Order: sequence, then structure tokens, then C-alpha cells
Amino acid sequence: MDSQKKTNFQIEAFKHRVVVDPKYADKTWKILEHAIHEIYNQNAGELSFEELYRNAYNMVLHKFGEKLYSGLVATMTAHLKEISKSVEAAQGGSFLEVLNGKWNDHNKALRTIRDILMYMDRTFIPSTRKIPVHDLGLNLWRDNVIHANNIQTRLLNTLLELILMERTGEVINRGLMRNIVKMLVDLGSSVYQEDFEKPFLEVSADFYRVESQRFIECCDCGDYLKKAERRLNEEVERVSQYLDCSSESKITNVVDEEMIANHMQRLVHMENSGLVSMLLDDRYEDLGRMYSLFRRVVNGLNTVRDVMTSHIRETGKQLVTDPEKVKDPVEFVQRLLDEKDKYDKIISVAFNNDKTFQNALNSSFEYFLNLNTRSPEFISLFVDDKLRKGLKDVTEEDVEIVLDKVMMLFRYLQEKDVFEKYYKQHLAKRLLSGKTISDDAERSLILKLKTECGYQFTSKLEGMFMDMKTSQDTMQGFYASQGAEVGDGPALVVQVLTMGSWPTQPCPPCNLPSELSMLCERFRTYYLGTHTGRRLYWQINMGTADIKATFWKGQKHELNVSSYQMCVLLLFNNADRLTYKEIEQATQIPTTDLKRCLQSLACVKGKNVLRKEPMSKDISEDDAFLFNDKFTSKFYKVKIGTVAAQKESEPEKQETRQRVEEDRKPQIEAAIVRIMKSRRVLEHNSVITEVTKQLQPRFLANPVEIKKRIESLIERDFLERDNTDRKSYRYLA
Amino acid sequence: MKDRIRFNVGGKIFETTSTTLANAGRDTFFGAMFDDDWNLYSNYSGEYFIDRNPNCFGVLLDLLRTGELCIPPNVSEKLLYREAQFYGLTDHVRAAKWGPIDGNRLSLSRSIAGRAPGDGTAIRGGPDGGCCVAHGCMVHVYDWILDEHPPITLDYQIVNDVGWIDPENIVVSACERLGRGDGGMGLFNAENGELRHKFQISHENQIKSFTAGALSFSSSDSHIFSSCKGRSNEYGIGVWDSVTGKQIDFFYEPIGWSLGDADKLQWLNGSSCLLVATLFPRKDNCYISLLDLRVKRMVWSWSDIGAPVTVDGRRVRDAIAMEENGSICVVNEYEDLGFMDLRGSVGGGVRWSSRSRSRLMKGKMPDYEPCYPKLALHNGQLFSSMNDCISVFCGPDWMLTSRFRRSDGGSICDFSIGGDRLFALHSEENVFDVWETPPSQITL
Repeated sequence: MDSQKKTNFQIEAFKHRVVVDPKYADKTWKILEHAIHEIYNQNAGELSFEELYRNAYNMVLHKFGEKLYSGLVATMTAHLKEISKSVEAAQGGSFLEVLNGKWNDHNKALRTIRDILMYMDRTFIPSTRKIPVHDLGLNLWRDNVIHANNIQTRLLNTLLELILMERTGEVINRGLMRNIVKMLVDLGSSVYQEDFEKPFLEVSADFYRVESQRFIECCDCGDYLKKAERRLNEEVERVSQYLDCSSESKITNVVDEEMIANHMQRLVHMENSGLVSMLLDDRYEDLGRMYSLFRRVVNGLNTVRDVMTSHIRETGKQLVTDPEKVKDPVEFVQRLLDEKDKYDKIISVAFNNDKTFQNALNSSFEYFLNLNTRSPEFISLFVDDKLRKGLKDVTEEDVEIVLDKVMMLFRYLQEKDVFEKYYKQHLAKRLLSGKTISDDAERSLILKLKTECGYQFTSKLEGMFMDMKTSQDTMQGFYASQGAEVGDGPALVVQVLTMGSWPTQPCPPCNLPSELSMLCERFRTYYLGTHTGRRLYWQINMGTADIKATFWKGQKHELNVSSYQMCVLLLFNNADRLTYKEIEQATQIPTTDLKRCLQSLACVKGKNVLRKEPMSKDISEDDAFLFNDKFTSKFYKVKIGTVAAQKESEPEKQETRQRVEEDRKPQIEAAIVRIMKSRRVLEHNSVITEVTKQLQPRFLANPVEIKKRIESLIERDFLERDNTDRKSYRYLA
Repeated sequence: MKDRIRFNVGGKIFETTSTTLANAGRDTFFGAMFDDDWNLYSNYSGEYFIDRNPNCFGVLLDLLRTGELCIPPNVSEKLLYREAQFYGLTDHVRAAKWGPIDGNRLSLSRSIAGRAPGDGTAIRGGPDGGCCVAHGCMVHVYDWILDEHPPITLDYQIVNDVGWIDPENIVVSACERLGRGDGGMGLFNAENGELRHKFQISHENQIKSFTAGALSFSSSDSHIFSSCKGRSNEYGIGVWDSVTGKQIDFFYEPIGWSLGDADKLQWLNGSSCLLVATLFPRKDNCYISLLDLRVKRMVWSWSDIGAPVTVDGRRVRDAIAMEENGSICVVNEYEDLGFMDLRGSVGGGVRWSSRSRSRLMKGKMPDYEPCYPKLALHNGQLFSSMNDCISVFCGPDWMLTSRFRRSDGGSICDFSIGGDRLFALHSEENVFDVWETPPSQITL
């Protein structure tokens, strides 16, 4: 190490002695200054890199770094001032091109200068914390050229003018724009923002404010949105073509604000072309555009959603309350389903399956469907219609689709227990009259109800199916046990229904024709013999019969009638003319039922197998009835229905309602007891809230009714009022 | 061959290829010379003349060819370094001399004897392999070839801490002289020791004199942090911008919490927080906290006030935050390592690791004056100095993997890692050692 130090010392001493020439620094700088001039004059090819690098190195080494640096600043500034003059002198359209050309020249010169001064850049500049050569070159360019008085505004105006030209449809030199913008970005993001972006955004806002005003005066909503979308795409493309990518969100915000946010309400509510008419005409493309544009602005989608919701509610309300439209239950429900399909499609095609829109749709349906208290009945009737005949020629999958849609409506119902009641009635009729088309479809729907509402909801419905099945087996067993004894007589089919599972009403007994009553007696003996401890009640009113009848000229028909009608008709085997009183006495059929069955036998055109004297629409107790020998029909089989409204009549409706209310009482009480048992003491309002919540899946409990139930429970010592707080109840174990 | 290049360096002919020269990189003499932008020699087919020392050129050309530095006896090392500086190849030379630091592969490179009397205060490794050593009122500066530069003093006040902002700039913090209204911090040129800037504290628009203690720097936003003690109530942590030199913030210490006296500051890049540790024996108790200066809040704190005193009175002597592990490592005077969880806002107890303790019970105390242990963290390795040796701990459980010492140094009063070198300052002899990891060798 000692020897090294020695050598170093000698060399250092030698070098230092060389620099005694006081003009050394000036001479060296002259060489470098000349080189910088030559570089700017693009004569660099004549220079020796090695010599220049070595000279710059020597200046720094001999502590003339400061002189070198300040010389560089002065020389470069002088050149840039020259450049600035020639840019200023550029005529009209060539301004940007000249500027761009000079910028490229400067950049090239800057790189070359930096190469010669590399040693200074690496050692002198960091230790004196000066600006590195490259950054210095950019700063000087910014201060002497871009910020020169006659250039700064001219540059900005030229850029903005070109963009305006492009916006009005002219073609501009995008490559040149790209280079100039890139220059501003290279000079630092603050230069780009202050000298271009900020004014650009302001001018754009003005432009779009005026344009949007013009558009909205003369275009309909759809066209306006198309134009706005095109502008938005243009701006995005402009940024990608020649602006800095940081500007994209800023300029699109300007377009969003000026073209959409500021006109949102007017667009949505535009007469004959706004949102409502788009919805009415299913204009998916326009709706989709509105969605994607409004999504961009604050409260945009809320606005669309609110208008859609109130429109659906309004039209829905009309659908369910218009007396014309509620006449036919099947059409009523079909209309609702169509409406739902329509909006489902709009949401999936145009609204990107937006969850918030789906929720709004659901809540709207829930709102108006429950405006009509008959909705549960109508939905059940719709199902009844579909399962009776509607699904005759459709595949299993389509059946599923229809049933799923029905279930969707069912979900909107608040009074699910009312639906259950009707469904039970309608199902009973279908099963007993053998009118149900597909067992699979029936069971599938019950399964859906089960998943929706739980086992309890459907256990009785399933019981009904079970009864049908066991009855078949019972009948087989019955005929097997009777053997030939009953071979010639009428065929009896008995359905044994479990009481409670079926919507049956007590039925006063009537006189059956003797051959039948014998058969019935045999069945009763057989059934009670195999099932001890049971009781059988005959529900004649629910039965049907097929009877063969011979008319004038030996014309034969098979008549499909109710059991009551059968009883009446069989009387005419032994008499041609019978008075009302005689029939009533012979059959013992209850008055209302008898009248109804006589009406359908004698007063319906094409089905009148009896003649009435005197001829009139209604049955009176003084009427007489004759066998109508002249009866003709082109069908062999004739079905004689009972005159009865498919839809419930007003008193029937009242009755059903009453039964529903009656059924709700124990459910409400059970809920109260369940809640009180777990909470012990609870305040009145909380009881109401909790009970309502617990019963929600089945029906909407009436607070007045809940209060009545609480009082009844207090009377029966399930609960008591709290002694200190009279508003609270206490559970009594 | 197309890419063959012929140099005449100081009269001696060298031939090489542009591929070899490309190893130098763009920001070098060769990179500039043969770059497309510089078309000086574009159509030149003869030789390129360079007016430099041919012997050194040969060595450096070999360095570009092989990546290895072989200095023949007839070439002065120092001259070679200067020539490397000329060509812009200093980084290449450094990389050929030593590799990235690895605590388990350290070898002693040099020992430098200092002239200063008395105990050393601090040693700090610079970013490029140089270092500076503070003794009393002096700071001695060494560059990466360990040549000494003019020393730094801040009016001969007692120096508390030093630190490198970059390879060219050093910050010194000093004690205020009683009655003189001075002290403070200065920014110095590492090359010539000139004072470049004095950092000041103004309190209610009045410039106050203060004693600056421990220093730390954040490289991402060029902030300087220092613990400060003023004469009135300006106790706390000062923050300055190292570019403008202006004071930008001051965090006043909360009552009962010693920040102005801190022994150690550590800027945490990940969480943008400052670790402040004030330790025994400067104060009777130890205080460690994390400050979030953006919200002016102490976000984590621990102190041993009220903790049961152990029989032998062991106290925390140094602390270092390990962000990747979410913990703080502390060390006591027996070189037991302890760990604290950084999650949550209050430090729980210290989990002392028993491993180092049992090991030390067996050893005997050295016969020279002991020094308090210090900690450093580098690339997931934990370094701890104790007496005359430095231990290295690695892995998730901080296993002791290496220990190195120089035979005749005496206790290590401070050590530092910088520029991929480890510098250890010995208190008695005023010697510092330079440890390096050899570069990975080319297998033959």
C-alpha cells in the first residue's frame, strides 16, 4: 500500500503542475462551446468524441465544473432563444411542424451534449446538487421556447383549434398532435396539465354544453343518447390517439357531466321518446344505451330505476284494478305473466341483469299484485285452468316453465294462506272429477310449494293424492271380493276421502235409486269390514255418473251427469212427467242443489234432456218436468254440467274469506304463544312486530286481529298484563 | 469480423468487439461513443485514439470481458480507480471487488486506524461503499477506496449522530453548547467537508437553538428526521426536507414520553412511520414508539415503566423494527434478543429468546471495557454487536448462524452496513474494520 501511495502522489503532483496555465479553463471551455455550437448546427460529425469527453473530464477534475456548467446553461439558452425566434416566425399552419422539428433537433443535440459532458453529469452534478444535463435541457426548452410570449398562447390556441376542427368532422394531422402532446408530457406532467389539459377541459366543457343544448332541442331521447355515446367514444379514441392517457377519465367526466348529468331528468321524461315509451315499445337498444350512459353519472341509474318502478306500478295497478280486465282470471294472470316476461327481458337484454333493477321489478309486482284481494284466487284458478286443459299439447319442460312462473307470482303474494285455501278447493274438484291431465305436473307444483313454504303448507294436499291412490286399490279389492254378484248392475266407483284433508262440507243424505243404494250398502260393509273403527259419510254432492239413455228413433246417448242429476233422471225411467214437488220428495235433494241440477237438465240449450212446463229460465216449485224424447246431439257422449260459476260468487267469496280468517286465528295464537314462551315478558308493539314477522311467509296478519287474539289468550290464562307496565304482557307457564 | 474494434490507447493498440464494450452499458464512455445518436465515427474503419493510460485500459477491458478484476503488480490500484472513474466504470469495479452483503460469508477487507483520541461515537456506511466516523466533535469521511477526505466539524460542537443522504452528502447533528445558542444540524459535502446548509427549527416564527440527537432519513420523499431538545418546550421530533433544507414539521413529545432525547430513530418505508427509541441509561426507563407524522399520532408504544425489574437489572439497550415480520427486535446488555409484536397499538411484553442467554452464561466477561450491544437488519439478516464480535441471526426463528471478530480491536462501540459493506468501529484503539462479501467467482 505504501508503494501505491507513492505512485499516486507522483502522478497527482504531475497533473496539478500541468494546470498552471491560467487560461487553461477558458481555452478548454472554448473548445467545448464550439462543439456545442457545431452540435446544434448538426455538424457533430466533424468532432472528436474522445477529445471533447477528455476536455470536459479535465475541467471537472481541475475544479472548473462550475464554469463548465454555467457555460453550458448560457450556450444552450442562447441557442434556444434562436430556436424560439424561428418557431415564432413560422407561418400559420407550419407552426406546429416547425416546433416539432426543432424539438426533435434539440432532443438529439441534448443527447449528444450529455454524452460529452457525461463525466460532469456523473460526478460534479450530484455532489453540487445541480440539475442533470438532460433535465436541464428540458427545463431550458420549457422556459425559452414553450413559455416564450409569442409561443405559449399560440401553441395552446393551435392545439385547441385543431381539436375543435376534428370535433366538427375535419381530418387533422394526428401524428403531429401526438408528437407535440408528447413533448408537453416529457417536459413534466405539470407542463402538460397547465399548458394544455386544463384549458382543453374548459373549452371542451363549453363545447359540449352548447352542443348538448342544441341536440336536446331537436332530437328525441334515443337519438340524443346515440349522439352522446358517439361523442364519448370519440373522446376516448382521441385520448388513445394523441393525448396522455391520464386525460381519459377527465375528458370523459366532462362529456358525462355536460351531455348526460345536466340533462338527465329531461331525457328520461322526454315526451313520446323518453324512458316510458322505450319501455312500452321494448326498444332494447335505446334502453341499453341509456343504461350504459346513465351508469356513468351520479344518481343516473337511480333516476332510470325510479321512473321504471313508478311506470310498472302504474300499469300494474291498472291491470289488477280495471274491472274489465279482472273478469277472466286466466287472462288476468296471463297478462301479469306477460308483463313480468317483458320486464325480465328488458332487464336482461338492456340493463345488464342489474340486481337493483331486478329488485325494483320484484317490489313493484309485490306492490300491485296485492292491491287486488282476489289475486290468490285468480292465480289458483289459472293453475286450475292450465292443469285441466291448458297443458294438453305441451312438453314437460314447458309445463315446468309455466309452473315456475306461477310460483314467481305466488312469491309476491302476501296472503299465501288464501291461495292455499283456493288451491285446495280447485285441486279437490280436479281430482274428484278426474279432470287433472298430468299427475306429474300436479306433483311438481306441490313440490315447488313445499320448497317455498315448507312441509306444513302442502301436507294436506299430498294427503289428497294419497286418498286417490288408496281409493283405487280399495275399489279393486271391493270388486274382487264381490265376484259375479255385482256383474250386471251399475258400476260403482267410491273415493274414500280423509276428513280434514279435503274441503268438504256436511251433506244431508238423499235417496239414491234402489240398485245404487244396495251397492253402496255392500261397499260400506266391505270397507268397514277391512277398516275397523272408521266411519263413512257419503258426499253425494261431489259425485258424477255416466248413464245411458235411449231417445226418439232409438237414438242412444251416454250422459255424463252429477250424482244428483242421476237421481233425478232415473226417476223418469218409471214416469214421463213429474212435478217439482214429486221429484223433491222422491230424492230428498236439498232445495238449492235440486234447483240448480234441474236447471242444468232442462234449461241449457243443447243439453236439455228434460222439458219444463212452463218454459222459462228459472225453476219454480210449481214447475213440472217431462222426459224430452226429441233430444238430439251430434255427439254420442253428452256432458251435462251443473250450472255453477267457475269463479266464486260474491257470497261464496265472503264465505271463503271468513273461513280463511277463522283458520288464521289459531295460527296467530300459536305464534303469540311461541314468542311469549321464549321472551317471557314483552311489550305490546314488539309482540305485534314479531308476530307479523313470523307469519309473513303465509299471510299479512292484521294488528287488530293480533290484539284480539292476545286478549283471548289473556282470558284463557296463557298471558297476563304486567302489573307495573300495562303495555307489557307476561307469559304464564 | 464485422464488430471488431481497434483502440489506440496512449500509443498501445487494443482490439476488442462491440459485444464486449456493450457490457459497459449506455451511461459510460463506451456507451456514449458507440451509441447511434453519436455519429462521430459512423464511417470510420481505422483505430480509435484515446489519450489515457494503456495499462489501466487493459485491466478495465479485461473487466468488461470477464467481469473480474485482476490488477497486475505494475498497475497502481488508485490510478486504476481514477481511470475507471474516467470511463464511467466505477460501478463495474466495485461490483467486481465485493458482492451483495451476506452475514454468513463476510471477510475482513481492511482495517483503518484513526487518529482521533477518545471513544468513537458512531460509524455510518455510505451508499457507495464509503463511510464516516464521528469522534467527539469531528467526523472523518472516507470514500469507497477508503481514502480520507477533509474532516467535517460543525463549529467543533460535540457530534451526536451522522448519516448519509446520498453518496455526496452527509448530515451531522450536534449538541448545543451551553450559553452559546448554537447546536443543530448541518448538511456537508462529503468530498470536501464544506458546510452546505444548516437546518433550523422555528418555533412560533422564531428561530430557536437546539440540540439534535438521533437521525433518520426517508429516501422516498427525501425527509430528514431528528430528535430535538430545545431550551423551552421544543422537545420532540423535527422533520426537514433534504432538498429544500426547510423545516416541514415538528412532532412535540407527549407529556411523560421522552422523544427529544431519543437514542435511535428508524424510518419505516412500508408503514410510513418513524420508530423512536429512548433507552437506558439516557433515561431511567426505556420508551419505544411508532409515530405516524401524517396524522400526528403515536400509533404504537411500549415502555418498561412498571415492568418487574429482573435480578440482574437487564435493560433494553437497542431496538430495531422489522417491518416484514411485524415485530420489533430489542437487545439487552447480555446480548439476549427479545421480540415485540408491532400489530395492535400497544406493545405487550418482550419475548426474550433464551438461546442467546444460555450461551452467554457460559462465556466469561471480557477483560476490556464492554460496550452496549447494537442491532442492524439487512436483507432479512439480523446483526448484533457485542463486545468485540458481531453475530448474525437468520431465518424465521432468528438462529445464530455466524459470528466474526477481529483479534485486536477491543470492544465494538458501533457498526453500520452501507454500500454492501459492514463497518465496525472499535472504541479503544480507534480502529474501524471493513467487512465485505467476496463477489461470486467465475468457475474455471
